[in-house]
Amino acid sequence: MIHKFSVRSAGIAEPDIRELGRSWELDDLEVWRDYYVEFEGAPEPSALSDVAAVLGDQLDVQVTLDEPLEPGAVQVAYKRGVVDNESDSIITVCALLGVKARAGKVATTYRSASPRLRDLIASTRFNATIEELHDEEPKYDTLVPQGHYESAVQHDLRGLDDAALTELGLAGGRNLSLAQMRHVQHIQETLGDEFVTDVLLEALDARWSDHCAHTTWKSLGSLLGRLVQAAKDVDNPNVLSMFHDNAGVWDFYDGHAIAIKAETHNGPSAISGYFGQLTKLGGVLRDILGTGLSADPIGSFEYTAIGEPEAPAPIKGRPDARRLAGETIRAIKEYGNTFGVPMMSSRMTFHPAYRAKPFALGGSIGLLPVSAAQRGTPRPGDFVVLIGGLTGNEGIHGASASSAGATMDTAAVQIGAPLEQVKFRKALIELREEGCMSALTDVGGAGLNSAVGEIGEACGVWINTALVPLKTAALPMWRILLSESQERMLLAVPPEHQERAKKILDRHMVRSTVIGRFADTGRYHVFHAPDLTEEALIAAAPDAVPAHQGETGFDVSYDLLDIEVERQEVGPPPRPTGAPEWPSLAPAELAGLLEQVVSDAEVASQHHADSQYDSTVQGNTWYGPHYGTEQAVRTGYWAGTPVAGSPAAAVLNTAFNPWMFDADPVAATRQMFCSAIAGQVLAGVAVRDICMCDNFYTPHLSENWREWLVGMVDELAGLVRHFGVPLISGKDSSAGSVQTDEGLVSVPPAVFLSALGKVPHRDNLLPEQWTTPGNVLVRVGLETSSPVGTVAARKLGLPSGGLDDLALSDVDSYLTALAASRTLLRSGARIGAGGVAATLAQGVLASGTGVLLESATTESLFAEHRVGAVVEVSPDDVGRLPAELNPVVLGTLAAGSGITLDGTDLFTPAARDGWFHSFTARIA
Amino acid sequence: MKPTVNVLYLPGTNCQEETVRAFAEVGATPRMRFAADLLAGDDRLDDADILCIPGGFSFGDHLGAGAVAGALLRSHLADQFEACRTRPLIGICNGFQIAVRGGCFGKVGLKVNSAGTFRNEENQRHVVDTDNDSPWLTGLGGQTLSFPCAHGEGRFDPGSETSGYRVALRYEKDSNPDGSFEDVAGITSLDGLAFGLMDHPERAVDREVRLAFFENGVRAVR
Repeated sequence: MIHKFSVRSAGIAEPDIRELGRSWELDDLEVWRDYYVEFEGAPEPSALSDVAAVLGDQLDVQVTLDEPLEPGAVQVAYKRGVVDNESDSIITVCALLGVKARAGKVATTYRSASPRLRDLIASTRFNATIEELHDEEPKYDTLVPQGHYESAVQHDLRGLDDAALTELGLAGGRNLSLAQMRHVQHIQETLGDEFVTDVLLEALDARWSDHCAHTTWKSLGSLLGRLVQAAKDVDNPNVLSMFHDNAGVWDFYDGHAIAIKAETHNGPSAISGYFGQLTKLGGVLRDILGTGLSADPIGSFEYTAIGEPEAPAPIKGRPDARRLAGETIRAIKEYGNTFGVPMMSSRMTFHPAYRAKPFALGGSIGLLPVSAAQRGTPRPGDFVVLIGGLTGNEGIHGASASSAGATMDTAAVQIGAPLEQVKFRKALIELREEGCMSALTDVGGAGLNSAVGEIGEACGVWINTALVPLKTAALPMWRILLSESQERMLLAVPPEHQERAKKILDRHMVRSTVIGRFADTGRYHVFHAPDLTEEALIAAAPDAVPAHQGETGFDVSYDLLDIEVERQEVGPPPRPTGAPEWPSLAPAELAGLLEQVVSDAEVASQHHADSQYDSTVQGNTWYGPHYGTEQAVRTGYWAGTPVAGSPAAAVLNTAFNPWMFDADPVAATRQMFCSAIAGQVLAGVAVRDICMCDNFYTPHLSENWREWLVGMVDELAGLVRHFGVPLISGKDSSAGSVQTDEGLVSVPPAVFLSALGKVPHRDNLLPEQWTTPGNVLVRVGLETSSPVGTVAARKLGLPSGGLDDLALSDVDSYLTALAASRTLLRSGARIGAGGVAATLAQGVLASGTGVLLESATTESLFAEHRVGAVVEVSPDDVGRLPAELNPVVLGTLAAGSGITLDGTDLFTPAARDGWFHSFTARIA
Repeated sequence: MKPTVNVLYLPGTNCQEETVRAFAEVGATPRMRFAADLLAGDDRLDDADILCIPGGFSFGDHLGAGAVAGALLRSHLADQFEACRTRPLIGICNGFQIAVRGGCFGKVGLKVNSAGTFRNEENQRHVVDTDNDSPWLTGLGGQTLSFPCAHGEGRFDPGSETSGYRVALRYEKDSNPDGSFEDVAGITSLDGLAFGLMDHPERAVDREVRLAFFENGVRAVR
């Protein structure tokens, strides 16, 4: 029996509801939550009262029972099949109260007399992909998601011509090419089978997708191999693992190591900013958990590029940028805060090329012992143990969809449930410490198929999909295999540790199921046998493959699953030349430009977002993500001390500027790489102690995209070799072009770089806060004076052109001099978006100290010398700065809080107001 | 013998390690108490000198912050929790929300922040009340302590409750991050044994600040 509990404020509306009412201009807006609970049988009235008491356990809250939706009210609820995160909690509460419940559902109801209410909800609070909108009370027979098993569909490929193979390869949302279908045909012929099943077709569709197999990168000449070879050539002893695990692993100190990984979730984030961004962070945290024999996440970072907030979505029905911004913040807040990992760096960019498909990047670093840094290897006889969330009918074809670009963007999104992941996080560490696992991996894109298929490749594996715990009553085999339900991990547990592992997982309240076994067969074997129980599987001999296998999905040698990718040759990319001149501006005009620059989202305070992310949980944050005794200004780097009792610090910074990649992706790659290194060295890290993670996001339908991609990869490989700074982890997304209602929209070919460094003692890190009036501010570093890609050039409307070409020998000289001059520096801040002017403005805001400029031009203030910094030195030390730093005196720290040039304060109250409020005003 | 501290670990707790570290640093023996073990009767909540309920998002906070955990303390663990209330007890952030729902401070409430969302402040300043003789606050009256704030449902609302709690600390003037009534940042029970606060001293960079409350609590049971 289903009962409904409506929980609402009894007095004044809560602040978030009042705020929503204000923003919608609905003074009478009411919002409340409706909890539907499906009980087993008919509960006693006293039991209903007990449940109501828990739901209403808050001041000024009232609970009503079974009150139908009133006229004028509009309710938004998830579709059946999308299991609420709250559902488990409702069942848990009922169990604590001694009442048996099967399922729960939560809905949000809005009420107002305004006829605009429904449209406002439909346009801003409703996602038709996963939700239902009700004007009258919905009628539910059951809250339990429905599903059923369907026998595998059989296809005899023998004798099919190319047209038939092509048609079958694309049927049902698959994306198998003719060459791939010919290979499936070859598999059938080799096996001598009468048919292949749709389970095999779906499994191979996922396995050979760009997401899983990186076919684009392979087709262009083993691009990943080029980066890996460069890192091998460098032979940096800090590298413990690179590119063959879920994350790269970098040596830390005293037997500890740090894993780093960043991932993008661009396609899903275009459909639902909330769920896309939720799962991007959840996914990358799971990558860290699944690295080596499990690392514990100690920090997260995120970057999101979306379209201009004022512009409509270029595809009808899709959320616009403003909504994506709000949903992004909500998602990052909910996942990161709940998971308990400090936010190291977060940033949002508004750029029109990302209006169709955002750049949704999430990253994380994690701590693990060096002894557990290598990817584990399952042994024949080990159990295949699935832990975490239930498997549902979610995100099917997600991996393939992300590789198919515009043609498959309508795939359903995955539903994130951070609580599940919090529960198994510490359980995994305990399992690792007790030696209960021989290997593990996360279950992510392409679901179990990818996880089981990859981890089983070492020896062979079989699984029984009928043992996989489901959200629905049943599902077809291929859907179980490909479901992208989140918060699941796959473990290889030796039989002798199975009981202990189960006990640890139970203690952490983590669901775990033995679904199969690793085998000495070299085969990937999937079947569906409902009458083969978990108990029988556990009790069987380690080398026994069950005699009764129900229905077979496939049983194929791994040798047959590899496929050659056709090579495509590309030439060098076209390189732009020439750059516009900086205009000459009078002091008053410079002040006006400064106001515009500091009000740009690349420079302005994003406190509205940042202040919602927990940056101190775990108690290890030493520096960042903000500094300033007066105002919170973003730091150029983050540092944390993750090992209890040790002063050793991990240092993280990032480098990305889409406008530079718009102009010249290869030159931008060089500047961003050098900028990240220079930022680390400025902080106090030695070059040899820096590694990086790369995330490519390239358009697959724009002109010269292949040339640019290859050019960027080769440039990176050269930079790795030159500096000895290896890339140890990365990911590529080559689906950055989307056909929209406005035509083709493509992102710029680009790579986001995340740099990880280490220092033996945190006290050696250089702060950014200015210390003493009277000290001198000096610009140091290489000059990159081209206006192209700068914030100021956009405000001035300057044309595009070429970027400065950095001489790497000059970068070497600068970095060496910078490291040698550290004792002279009182503080130092990296120059980034907005140039010297933005660095000065943020220094003033953070410290409350003013600056007297000696001289200034448009170029000296607004050129973005990205491999440079503004450093503070005492007047006596200015002359001791080595020439290799290219020191240029900017001015002196002075009382007050202005940036004064020839008696004119360039940093006007309007500029300060713009820095504070412009970001919020555009998205809130 | 070192004083013992039971640290309640619920599904969704995420501040247990820094909290355990803080208690260990001041000479106590902290040990985790898992909800599953407590429900199975394999462990007890009340067999230590101090009970600590650390921060996090217990049971995901899906039905309201601390609601499910509060129900757990009022149902299956009611007797043990009652025994814990006769000794020092500290609830931090989600632990404070759970302790409120567990009835430690009368009928007060912790509601959604006035901004309607989570609030993170790396250096939130708090002033310790001078009129509260709780063992958790010994020697700290009048001091201003800076430690992180990170919560979404911390707006203290006493409702009509006037005698069930005492103010322990307040946010520094003009820096109230959540809209709490009269800037209240933490309270104690009338007898001073139970101490709840929304912000996180266990995360403070400054060692003295980080350990101040924990040192007091442990000293009280030595």
